[in-house]
Amino acid sequence: MESSSLMNEGLTLMLFGMGFVFLFLTLLVGATTLMSRIITKYEKNVGALPEGGVPSPTAVIPRHGPLANPHVEDSTLISVISAAVHKYRSRHK
Amino acid sequence: MDQLLHLWHNTGLYQMQPGQGIMLIIGMLLLYLAIKKNFEPLLLVPIGFGGVLANIPGAGLAEAGGILHLFYTVGIESGAFPLIIFMGVGAMTDFGPLLSNPKTLFLGAAAQFGIFATLMGAVLLSTFGIFDFSLADAAAIGIIGGADGPTSIYVASKLAPDLLGAIAVASYSYMALVPLIQPPIMRALTNESERKIKMTQLRHVSQREKVIFPLLLLILVAFLLPDAAPLLGMFCFGNLMKECAVVDRLSNTTQNALINTVTIFLGLAVGSKLSADKFLDFTTLGILLLGMVAFGIGTACGVIMAKLMNKFGGSQINPLIGSAGVSAVPMAARVSNKLGLESDPHNFLLMHAMGPNVAGVIGSAVAAGIMINYVAG
Repeated sequence: MESSSLMNEGLTLMLFGMGFVFLFLTLLVGATTLMSRIITKYEKNVGALPEGGVPSPTAVIPRHGPLANPHVEDSTLISVISAAVHKYRSRHK
Repeated sequence: MDQLLHLWHNTGLYQMQPGQGIMLIIGMLLLYLAIKKNFEPLLLVPIGFGGVLANIPGAGLAEAGGILHLFYTVGIESGAFPLIIFMGVGAMTDFGPLLSNPKTLFLGAAAQFGIFATLMGAVLLSTFGIFDFSLADAAAIGIIGGADGPTSIYVASKLAPDLLGAIAVASYSYMALVPLIQPPIMRALTNESERKIKMTQLRHVSQREKVIFPLLLLILVAFLLPDAAPLLGMFCFGNLMKECAVVDRLSNTTQNALINTVTIFLGLAVGSKLSADKFLDFTTLGILLLGMVAFGIGTACGVIMAKLMNKFGGSQINPLIGSAGVSAVPMAARVSNKLGLESDPHNFLLMHAMGPNVAGVIGSAVAAGIMINYVAG
């Protein structure tokens, strides 16, 4: 009698526990996705640095800091990198 | 002559019981594994040495009044050490990969099935009269499957303090054995083309998201499962300190000096539980076996869950990262990465696997909260 009640308790705990873990993490997935969407939208308006280079008032520390003139640097950089990637790929076929 | 006899009676050699001798050898074996084989040395060195100290005959280091007993009472019985470690782990965790692909949280959830399956296993074994585990014992043993050392110790200290030594040793040794236990299971459950699945590159996650995430998690915990609040609260606190970038000094201390200090005392205190009368027991063998099963099931469920999610469409997930849903940060993620590279030398899964990996930490803390809630409350 006592052992079967232990079994029952174990089974209940298993189903209840696993269900709750999934419920909790599903809610977390939902909340996280929602939060990311709101923030991405918000940052489109506020977070990103405007063209003129005037930093907007934000607590975010930009990961890639504002270069002096990013566009000039970019085109040469991209051509160099793609040439290197091309060469690497053709060698490692 | 009398004095000489008295001296002889006080030597360790005279007072040594066979059990203590065996435990001394086991302690030395743990030290050997840590130093020579590099098995989780940061933990097994203090644990092994603590085990040796605790079994010195006549010294009574692990008995009431002894220094190891003091460490145990202050740090583990109170639940403080595992929680401080969890704060440090939080400060070292990067939720970036998880935030850029929140779906991987499901993999972390699935891998927790190992915990509950093992709980069932332990209950079944006591039903058949092979072992004598109560529900609380079974819950504490099951949590080994979460592959999360501090969580295991925390739960064991709350639910089954008697089994703490065996559970901690099992949990940390299996964490060290991740690279041996997981690959065969992962290979058996996936085929070559699944292992070659390339995942879409992770998007950039802004700092705002990273700051808000621990707060979001904390609020969810506060609303739904206050029993997990000690573990996840400390975890979120550590993570917030790291991500908010205004308390770098605190965050650095938490990640380095504090977690290292606490690890030393935690290890010694766990070692003090390796006394012969508690450890040299048939149940220890059962715990070690069940822990292994827990680990295997957790790994398998993570992989199967990833395959299931691929069936339901959406962006494809390489099932190899499913196994990283058992926590064991970052070892399990590295294993996923290694197996991925074996199939396709250009497929780097490490960052993708970090998502389920940290999800596993959250998942096992939630599972721990449920266990404590159900069994103790």
